[in-house]
Amino acid sequence: MTSRKLDTLWFLVVLVCVTALPATAQSFMVQCPTSTITHPAPNNNSEPAYTGPGVNGAIKCQQISGGDGYATMGDGTQTYLFAFGPLSGLYDIAQGKPGTQFPSVFNSLYTGATPLQPGDPATTGTIYNGAVGLIPNLDANNGSGTAGAPVDGHVDPRPIMDVGVMNGNLPAPLMAIDEDDEFFLTLTNVGQIMRPDLFEQHTVHFHGYPNASAFYDGVPDASVAINIGGSFTYYYLAPDAGTYFWHCHITPPEHLQMGMVGQMYVRPRQNRVPIGNSLYSALSAQQGDPRTKCDSADILCSNPLPLTTPNTATRAAGGGYAYNDGDGSTYYNVEYPIQIHGFDPNFHFVGMTFNPEGFADMKDKHFLLNGRSYPDTVTEGPLQTQSADGVNHYSQPLPSIINIPAGGKALLRISDLDTTEYQTLASLGIPMNVIGINAKLLRDQAGNNLNYNTNSITLAGGESLDVILDASDTTKYPSGSVFYLYTPNLDHLSNDAENFGGLMTEVRIN
Amino acid sequence: MRATNMKNTISKAMLHLAPMAAVAWLLTATAYAAAPGITGTTFNLTAQPAFISQPDGTAIYSWGYGCSTGFAPTFTPGNIPNAACPTMQVPGPTLIVTEGQSVSVTLTNGLPAAAGNTSILFPGFNVTATGGTTGLLTQEAAPGGSVTYTFTASSPGTRAYYSGTQGDLQVEMGLYGAIIVLPASVPSECNSGLASANLAAKAAWGESDYRLAHAAYDHPRTCYDREYLFQFSEIDPIIHTQAFAQSTKVCPGSSSGCMQVATEPYHPAYFMINGRSMPDDMDTNYATQYPHQPYNGNPHMHPGEQVLLRIIGQGRWQHPFHEHGNHVRILGRDGNLILSTSDSATTPALAGPLLFTTTTTPGQAMDGIFYWTGKGLNWDAYGHNPSSADSSAKLPCTPDANGYNTSAPTAINYYEWCQDHNKPMQATPLGDVAGGGPVTLPDPNIFANGAWFGGSPYLGPNATVRAVGSTGTTPPSGTIANSPTDEAGFAFMWHSHNEREITTNNVFPGGMLMMMLVDSREFVIDESN
Repeated sequence: MTSRKLDTLWFLVVLVCVTALPATAQSFMVQCPTSTITHPAPNNNSEPAYTGPGVNGAIKCQQISGGDGYATMGDGTQTYLFAFGPLSGLYDIAQGKPGTQFPSVFNSLYTGATPLQPGDPATTGTIYNGAVGLIPNLDANNGSGTAGAPVDGHVDPRPIMDVGVMNGNLPAPLMAIDEDDEFFLTLTNVGQIMRPDLFEQHTVHFHGYPNASAFYDGVPDASVAINIGGSFTYYYLAPDAGTYFWHCHITPPEHLQMGMVGQMYVRPRQNRVPIGNSLYSALSAQQGDPRTKCDSADILCSNPLPLTTPNTATRAAGGGYAYNDGDGSTYYNVEYPIQIHGFDPNFHFVGMTFNPEGFADMKDKHFLLNGRSYPDTVTEGPLQTQSADGVNHYSQPLPSIINIPAGGKALLRISDLDTTEYQTLASLGIPMNVIGINAKLLRDQAGNNLNYNTNSITLAGGESLDVILDASDTTKYPSGSVFYLYTPNLDHLSNDAENFGGLMTEVRIN
Repeated sequence: MRATNMKNTISKAMLHLAPMAAVAWLLTATAYAAAPGITGTTFNLTAQPAFISQPDGTAIYSWGYGCSTGFAPTFTPGNIPNAACPTMQVPGPTLIVTEGQSVSVTLTNGLPAAAGNTSILFPGFNVTATGGTTGLLTQEAAPGGSVTYTFTASSPGTRAYYSGTQGDLQVEMGLYGAIIVLPASVPSECNSGLASANLAAKAAWGESDYRLAHAAYDHPRTCYDREYLFQFSEIDPIIHTQAFAQSTKVCPGSSSGCMQVATEPYHPAYFMINGRSMPDDMDTNYATQYPHQPYNGNPHMHPGEQVLLRIIGQGRWQHPFHEHGNHVRILGRDGNLILSTSDSATTPALAGPLLFTTTTTPGQAMDGIFYWTGKGLNWDAYGHNPSSADSSAKLPCTPDANGYNTSAPTAINYYEWCQDHNKPMQATPLGDVAGGGPVTLPDPNIFANGAWFGGSPYLGPNATVRAVGSTGTTPPSGTIANSPTDEAGFAFMWHSHNEREITTNNVFPGGMLMMMLVDSREFVIDESN
């Protein structure tokens, strides 16, 4: 009797709280409008062909969890992470693709017979790319039921917690957008269940976003940070094409070392130029829009017209371009995001065990390409790790195998989020042609391309560059041959105590 | 308390304490950076020991260059109060000279005799050394002795100077500084057009000019409106402790002294910008509490201002200096302007890269230009509202050829990006900021607000107060470092992206970190204090 009364009382308290809050006060929620004032068309579910200056593009959405998880190091060690995990595009992420979706996919409701399980899609093989937790807004229509209830970002927290807890990825979920897209990125903080002593907020820093607002820059000191149990939707108009990256900005030496690092790139509108049309004409047309023109007086003008005229380059069939080059110089057949990172096993052990952490003597012993050390870098498909919940999770979805079609070119979008030191990556065989640095085309203000060949690149945490591996000479690079990317920091060719591994992967000519 | 909770308690407490310490200073004396130093053609410097301070309370025995007793330097910019040049400072005095001048630097060795000789290298200049004793790289000053270095300031730009004697120890101990060469002739473009409009905007709000020159090089693309100098270095406290312990050793007759200090293995625990760790770096220039660390690192700017960054790696390590907010155009390195090789124009186009992370390299300097305008956000950062009763909310935006509102230097939205004018960000109205935009802002109660959060998504006090009121979003924040009613700037963290270097002796936050603020025009940036 007493307990029933208490139950009733609590029910009333909860009910009052719920009803007293406005709709926007829902703690977990996602946002993915199907149209906006910038993209007013009813359908923004595909990239339109380039027609001329102005914003075209589409709408893209993604949901990620902020929490924790486990990954497997090259020596087999199970390592604790502070980590982001996928809460949209689960299936695509497991396939090594970006989890970024058009509204039609993001806003699709999960209709599987069995609810999403911890570890999904590893657990049940579910094929679902929508926003985990999304349900019709049952509070609409005066609560009259599901008939016609709008899908407006309301979520059921149960699947979010089932899927998001202990489901960290290394690197964090891949993001890819196209110039002129509006990007709605929802961060949902599910807490770190292995560290109940922590009350860690998380944020997203879109590293390199030009002319950023402080509000969406993800620096907790300069903006807001998202508490456990809350969702926050970051809003970006896709900036200039290039290889950016993202990470949490809470206590960076800790959260970055512990694994809250991810990849993100922006594809150029030049990809959308109809096949056979002039690339130079498209880039010239963009000079008519002050947002994208390159004025000679603008010290930060990022993408001048190429010097060579007349310029006959046209949009090739298939493949893509890294930048709006206007001359086809950044063309590639296949693209691979490669993120360099390092883990200090001592720091990760301390990070799991409630002890004070030291920063000054942080020393990485695992050297990672896309969250994996050799030989895991050449293992196909997602790597699984059993987490503390006893369930296998897709911990490291991205292999680092560079597959180049014979006679083709591969774009490597290389970023580095190491927290301790500079790392060098070298190519044995195919020269590295560096075409961009820090998400900007290498071109001087007179229009000369400044791309250069090298056999190695060196990056610190917080840097990125674009490399093209040109295998178009099929005599030198015949089908079936294998080349290597490895680090000449020879002590980084190790997996902690194992002396062969670390920062290395294969380039395969198919 | 269980030991297992210590990590959390320590780091979180510091997270709040350190910004609050910074807040306290910011409230007592707002501190902006400029690039202060001493100017002239003859400099009498001394190398001496002293203790410098760190924000964890540690006093670290160091060696630094300073002004010799009796040498009365000319300070520039002249309108910064409390300017001083002590006999020891870290970094050493910033020497500001003009292209073509003959410069003479006399160094007197005031280091402990046990440290042996010392010297200064001026890489990039053709130096003649007179007096002193012969050393490996240059003429050196023996303990108590002097040496004079003479050179012509052959080309403009920022460069490092540092000890050329036992560099592994002496540079680590603090014997380094910056020399800035100003161009002999400033291109006319730097005093007309947008450059003069920006100056008029400054004047309209009573802001003074703290530039050393109006251009970094003899090139019209190097005009600038503000400038800041950042010198990156590290300290391994064990080296300094050893040096202090041996500083009184007696070793007659040895030019290299007789210290036996192990400079390897190297484990730095302090990571500094201009000799200070965060939050001390955001305190004022010449602040009396740091008698041997006179220079700060605390950049402020208005939208559209061209801001010259002079960046030097003075330590042993490289540091990836990440500038949040926008890219930096590298103009030149070590005083060498990077120009297009194919451009036959009389002023060839720039060819330096655009970087969002400007890696510092030991001994190397670079000059770059940064600006912030908000272009491309796709929402009105000023939260303009054409149906507001507030006239400031209804200001027009008249695009110039590049799309900016530059025809109204006295307006608070001078240099606004006009394509996004009146474009809403939020789906529903927030206070006196209109709705209709793409984003729904969640309940502020699920956020934690930062000390430099301006109180709303918007730029400037007018927009912020119209959006969310005088205290900003909850919790009410009258004590933050970026008050909603006064400043409400956009704050951006500028820091080393080798993230362990934004700590002070294992405590976060600290080290190589500062907050750069983009302020709307209502907020008066006063670099004088």
